[in-house]
Amino acid sequence: MDAKDILGLPKNSFPPLDKKSRPPKESHRKPDGISREVYALTGGLAPLMPALDPSQLKKKPPSDEKVAWQWLGITSSARKDNLHLYHWVRVVNGVPPTGDYSFAKYNKSVDITKYTNEEYEKYLTDPGWTKEETDQLFELCERFDLRFIVIADRFPSSRTVEELKERYYSVSRALLLARNPSSVDIASHPLVKEPYNISHDLERKRAMSLVLSQTRQQELRDEEVLAEAKRIAQSRISAKVSQESEMAVASNAGVEVTERTIPGETVSPLPSNAQHPSIPVSSSMSTENASTLASLRILRVYLRTYALEQMLQAASSSAGLRTIKRVEQTLQDLGVNLKPRVPTKSVCAEHLELRKEILTLLNLQKQLQYKEAEGLPFREGSYTETPGTPKHFHHGKQDRAFVPDPSFGGERTGKRDQKRKAPGRLSEAPSSPAQSKRPRKLKASDF
Amino acid sequence: MSNSSSSKKHGQDQPELSGPTPKSHRAKMGKSEDTDKKNLGKKLKDVEISIPIVYGNIAFWLGKKASEYQSHKWTVYVRGASNEDLGAIVKRAVFQLHSSFNNPTRVVESPPFELSEAGWGEFEIVITLYFHSDVCDKPLNLYHHLKLYPEDENSSMSTKKPVVVEFYDEIVFPDPSEAFLSRVQNHPAVNVPRLPPGVTLPPPIPVEDASKRRKGDTKDHPLSQWFTNFSEADELLQLAAARQQVQAHIAKLRRQISLIDGQHHQHFKSSSDQ
Repeated sequence: MDAKDILGLPKNSFPPLDKKSRPPKESHRKPDGISREVYALTGGLAPLMPALDPSQLKKKPPSDEKVAWQWLGITSSARKDNLHLYHWVRVVNGVPPTGDYSFAKYNKSVDITKYTNEEYEKYLTDPGWTKEETDQLFELCERFDLRFIVIADRFPSSRTVEELKERYYSVSRALLLARNPSSVDIASHPLVKEPYNISHDLERKRAMSLVLSQTRQQELRDEEVLAEAKRIAQSRISAKVSQESEMAVASNAGVEVTERTIPGETVSPLPSNAQHPSIPVSSSMSTENASTLASLRILRVYLRTYALEQMLQAASSSAGLRTIKRVEQTLQDLGVNLKPRVPTKSVCAEHLELRKEILTLLNLQKQLQYKEAEGLPFREGSYTETPGTPKHFHHGKQDRAFVPDPSFGGERTGKRDQKRKAPGRLSEAPSSPAQSKRPRKLKASDF
Repeated sequence: MSNSSSSKKHGQDQPELSGPTPKSHRAKMGKSEDTDKKNLGKKLKDVEISIPIVYGNIAFWLGKKASEYQSHKWTVYVRGASNEDLGAIVKRAVFQLHSSFNNPTRVVESPPFELSEAGWGEFEIVITLYFHSDVCDKPLNLYHHLKLYPEDENSSMSTKKPVVVEFYDEIVFPDPSEAFLSRVQNHPAVNVPRLPPGVTLPPPIPVEDASKRRKGDTKDHPLSQWFTNFSEADELLQLAAARQQVQAHIAKLRRQISLIDGQHHQHFKSSSDQ
């Protein structure tokens, strides 16, 4: 109020403002029912999902029913022995629940085909198994619901789990086939379609236990070997695009596994693979190109600029951000648009080629730098600035690749030298001879 | 400026708009995967059709007649780069305008594919091109930021000189169907490259209504005086010159590197010149 006086604003503008400010304020007040802190946790807004209305939880069941509880007897179809038990039962309106005991339906068991003696004589005799053993096996199978581990434990003569399984499954299969000689239906029965293969099962379990019992060292070694295999596989695929290379890797991997089963032995097939010739750089680039083209093809229609972008991305994925910036800087220096103004097919192709060449150029420059830096300790001579020499080579080479416009050549070099003179250089070794050792920037005379 | 597109082989230095592939580029073009599958059933491999287009907008300031909400009259469009008719390829164009416009989704069913409106604001327009069924069943999107006000803020706006922003691009169909290919093999708006040896196309079905077709081109368009002529010649020259420079520099560096390698091997004593 006083402020308004001071400002000289009329006083009756206050009430209408008051009204307006109230409705927006309402929404900011927390709803009742939850504490202020809890509400603040949600950011002061209503929760996204409507919460359960707590009053709903206290609802009582429809009160027109009369519910009582009675102590009644039950029989369950799941039991075979006619045992009568008693328990409390919810009785609604005087009517006890009808039907079977509600949990009887969970009493499931496996269907086991039983054979008669004739069938046994005809189809199921086996040199390794007597009839008594087979009978016992089937009885246990039924009793224990095909839990072979338990069955093997209870089996009177010692037989392995796999043997038991094999006997059981082969018997069941033979029975099925015998009883339905010409039926097509059972052809899809799992027993018929995929018979139990005991050797496979044994092998599988052995391999599994080996894997589980691997020591940490072995794990690491295996990882290295796999990585090497992967790399070799990649190089093979890129060198010749064909399926054979993939097959070769798969079989190699298979060979590896069997080799590994003898603990402590190094994997011999792989070192021989490592002697494959290394891939030239160009083929890896062409793979990138090919894969980008393939992905573009899938689009069925695309814009040339989009295709160029994709190719650029693919090419620059292997280069770092700094390198990309240097390439772009070089392009600018050369007076080339970073994005072609008229992106026709040939223009885009030329553009990509140019970028590749600039990359090569930058790599060569770096190479040269390193070589010269290496060479210095070997050199005698009037250089007294050995500690400071690295700075020389950083002269103007990092960011400005070269001077594209010949007329600028002289000026630019002059400028840069002037800048660096103070920090980098020591007194003697005058600039001109020293400069001549450094790779020269492009000047007009060079052309 | 006419677009002569039927299968000619163009070198790098021929200043034509159309750019069918010189052999060296064709070799790069994904031949590796599919050469053995060269079936001429429905699609021809290694043949890529491209349609050079120009899209953008022209905006006139309304000057005295400008109101607060309608200060400019603008036209956004997609045209053939040499002003040829795109109707044989594009079935319709849908321009999605800012939501503040009435019916912001504007459909243009026939060429020239353009839309004129009046307004005050700049916004992104999404142009969706739908192609004929034998061309492609997938639409293509172009994104254009409508420009009404000149770059240079200080330059005064005139009702006579519009603000023009155009972009050149090419619609590429990497795997055109035979039907499409044969239909457009001699169409002026389409770039059809040289066909692989031994491949012939059925002759194109003659168009029934020749007069109707002609109206779709933009050669005599009222705004054609403002159209930009995009020529790849300058760009190619630029690129070729740049490449030459880079290659020369690379050669130099290589020489220097081999020189230094030689020096290292000798355990060179005195400093020498290059």
